Amino acid sequence: MCGSGRTVRRRAALSLRVAILLAAVGASLHAQPAESRTARVERAEAAARRGDRAAATRDANALLAEYRRGGSGWSARDHVAAGRAYLLVSSSDASAVRSALRAFDAGTAADSTFVEAALRASDLLLDKYNGPDAQVGYQAVLRRSPKHPWATLGLARVMEFSGQGDALAKAREAVELDARLVPAHLFIAKLHLEAERNDSALVAARKALAVDSSAIDAWAVVGAVAWVTGDSAGYRVARARAERLSPAPAAFYVTLSEAAARQRRYGDAERFAEQALAMDSLSVPALGAVGTNQLRTGEIAAGRARIERAFAIDPFNLWHKNTLDLLDVLGGFRTVRLGRFEFVATAREAEVLLPYLAPLLEEAYDKLAARYDYRPAAPIRLEIYQRHADFSVRTVGLTGLGALGVSFGRVLAMDAPSARDPGTFNWGSTAWHELAHTFTLGLSANRVPRWFSEGASVLEERRARRGWGAEATGAYLSALRANFLRPVSQLNDGFVRPRNPMEVGLSYYHASLVCEMIESQFGAGALAAMLRGWRDGWTTEQVFARVLKTALPAFDTRFDAWVKAKFDGVQLAAEPAGDAAIAPIRDEVLAREVAKDDRGLADALERLLWIWPYDVASHVTLAEASARLGDHATAVRERRVILALGPTDVLGARVELARALLGAGDRAAARREVLGILEQAPTFEKAQLLLLDIRKAAPPGGAP
Amino acid sequence: MMRRGLAALLLSVVTASVLSAQRTHAVIITGLGGEPQYSTAFAAQGAALRTIARTQWRAADSSVIWLAEDTAKDPEQRAIRATKDAVAQAFLRLSQRVGPGDVVVVVLIGHGSGEGAGSRVNLPGVDPTAGDFAAWLSGFARQTVVFVAAASASGDFVTTLKGPNRIVLAATRTPFERNESRFSEHFVRGFQNAEADTDKDGRLTVLESFAYATRETAKVYETARQMLTEHAVVSDSVLAARVVYAAAVSSGDPRVVALVAERKALEEQLEALRKRKETLPPAEYEAELERLLLAIAEKTAAIRAAGGTP
Repeated sequence: MCGSGRTVRRRAALSLRVAILLAAVGASLHAQPAESRTARVERAEAAARRGDRAAATRDANALLAEYRRGGSGWSARDHVAAGRAYLLVSSSDASAVRSALRAFDAGTAADSTFVEAALRASDLLLDKYNGPDAQVGYQAVLRRSPKHPWATLGLARVMEFSGQGDALAKAREAVELDARLVPAHLFIAKLHLEAERNDSALVAARKALAVDSSAIDAWAVVGAVAWVTGDSAGYRVARARAERLSPAPAAFYVTLSEAAARQRRYGDAERFAEQALAMDSLSVPALGAVGTNQLRTGEIAAGRARIERAFAIDPFNLWHKNTLDLLDVLGGFRTVRLGRFEFVATAREAEVLLPYLAPLLEEAYDKLAARYDYRPAAPIRLEIYQRHADFSVRTVGLTGLGALGVSFGRVLAMDAPSARDPGTFNWGSTAWHELAHTFTLGLSANRVPRWFSEGASVLEERRARRGWGAEATGAYLSALRANFLRPVSQLNDGFVRPRNPMEVGLSYYHASLVCEMIESQFGAGALAAMLRGWRDGWTTEQVFARVLKTALPAFDTRFDAWVKAKFDGVQLAAEPAGDAAIAPIRDEVLAREVAKDDRGLADALERLLWIWPYDVASHVTLAEASARLGDHATAVRERRVILALGPTDVLGARVELARALLGAGDRAAARREVLGILEQAPTFEKAQLLLLDIRKAAPPGGAP
Repeated sequence: MMRRGLAALLLSVVTASVLSAQRTHAVIITGLGGEPQYSTAFAAQGAALRTIARTQWRAADSSVIWLAEDTAKDPEQRAIRATKDAVAQAFLRLSQRVGPGDVVVVVLIGHGSGEGAGSRVNLPGVDPTAGDFAAWLSGFARQTVVFVAAASASGDFVTTLKGPNRIVLAATRTPFERNESRFSEHFVRGFQNAEADTDKDGRLTVLESFAYATRETAKVYETARQMLTEHAVVSDSVLAARVVYAAAVSSGDPRVVALVAERKALEEQLEALRKRKETLPPAEYEAELERLLLAIAEKTAAIRAAGGTP
């Protein structure tokens, strides 16, 4: 699993657009008598919110027909009304978005003091992922009117969109300027919801409802919080209120879908989005949510169809475009089913990586299945990306994600080692880590808190191979001794609300120690029992009380004492090299070669390959050492990988493969290989000699 | 008895001596490095090529001319300072030694610049241009000329020098690829291991050495995750696939000659079989393929045993 903050950014932006329109209706109704065209478009927008798309489109088109006939002389306010009408019909006509922008610009041209036109233009730009231009628009308004709440909120949204600046603080500024600014309250609520600050989200939503009890988006936040926290009564109330306001509250279910996805409950997320879609078949967020969650659960074709539909309606959606581009890339990948796994990678990566990865993951599956007494259904899909940007898009819809791997459950994705610089990460431990999530997510029906799932995955990494997984670092010990690390009861915040960029990394290791301590003090089955507790709908407090027979606050104290005792007086002589450090292994390889220690040499090279498997020389050395050790299976594997890496001397490499096959006793395969070589290069003396050797190795009376 | 045996051995060496129609001549020019690292590298490549010309191309000492930036760096003290006049003299001298059908290999290593016929590689003093080389090479109409412009910005050497019986290799496809070129390093390395001989027939064609250098150069950039800033070109790939740097060695030993002829006949049978591959049942094809390949392998072993070179 990994963070997906940017995913919700788009959704927040989209939902906010609705919210702003809602608020604008309220504001204009309260502020002054509505002009006729403004009133007409507001009626149409109200119809759209009710789910009556036909009425909304009819009213909007009537207004637009007038605009096309003689709109050039309209007032700024009427231009804006026309722009709003264009947006109402944009779900069936993508070009209407541009017309809307032109209408807003015409409003500004007609009366530059009518800032609503500029603000709506900026909102539209931001909704269509043009943050820089939107920012310019908001700033222009703020230069004229420094305390404009709407423009201030716009800047907050830009900050959230770009990931730069304190969006929450800026939104609060907007609320201070206008406490009745419902979109600002909603924006704050969504920010809290994304960060899993459920209580704060609820407070902000309630503030929005205090101003406008008909704000469906606010009820959606209330409903989402209730659903996430298992408050079924609260959820039913919120849903009833939303349904009373609109017989088809698609936005309510879209918000629920997003909340479910944040909890990694992708099946529920898909189900909620389908409900939204049933209410509004043209809802781009709903189509996107269904499609995205289908992709996460491995329904690639169905997911693609939904995203394509969403993109056809809104061709400005960057997330959907990125995802479709990614699916095109995936179309060129090779899908390989091996055992309980389905690997998706480029042909080259598949040939180079799968000889190692497939047996590793089979081993991991067996060990994890034994430990957790749970067997996820096969196949488990692992997508391997040789461009980090593609992996990032697969995970969050955008480039720029820092993570190396992601687990959606039975669908995993990760960077290929080639996606990063050599020595950046250990792809074996990463794959093991992500597969461990498959078990913790699956056994808990995706209800395990993130801290626990990450902790278990890091712990499993450490158990997988010597040197894999996180170890105590100087930074960790300092944080521990300074009481910076969060207690177990709040450890999730270390992942979703880190106080500084280092906290997430520290929390991974800290969480792994919690799992280690639970296992050591409560028995080998404790982790699995806890996961089953979450699966059954228990809260974390209940899980600790019923499985570990301890209250969570008491456990906090107990763990704190345990971890401090564990590291009491510990001073690190040197920072651990980590499981991706190449240099120490290369040094060891050299030393083992000099010492003619083939066993040690092979072990060191195996470790090196989990960091950087593309160095032909390493494979050659391992193949030679393995052959000397009599480990012909490894020699054959290495010779095949060398060929997959595209060596300069292809025929020479094939001869070595044939020789390894012969050494492994597979005379038939060796013969086939060498005949293939000599068919191309009949005078290749090295291959000729091998052919003669193969003939000599023929059993008496057998084939020549 | 012992003396007779020695005489017989000597006779065998003499009769099995190299009989080859094609003679190879080499002009190696290593230009100004500009910086010590480049000067050293160019000099090392020049010296290596001289050795390659003598040993692998079997060029006579007098047919190998190395013109260098700094003659003091030549341990044999035989290099000539690479001035424009000296280069012109070298070609004049060589033109008096070549015979019809010979191969003249010219390798120009250094930093390039300029465009069209004015393309040049920096040498001490006035730089000769591609146009100058064209004039000097006009005296080699009856020879096959292999001109290797292993320098940055060398693309226009191809357009200026290409012609009948001439193969021009350039490290860059245009004169605008001006970054440091790695081509020369890999061109030289192609002669230093067996990897460039992709069909493993023991004879390196110009195309094989070009392909090797191109491929290995690209790998350097790929490994360093850098954009490839040099794209080598060859003027005539058909001719380049036929021309070898050194002709096959023929033996004077009648036993070896007979074995070679027998092997040649088997190779022709193999070629004929391969052409019929699609029309034969796979098992029948494979059986016949194996029979012929084993027979060829046995002939090779017999040639070796007879003291010949397969």
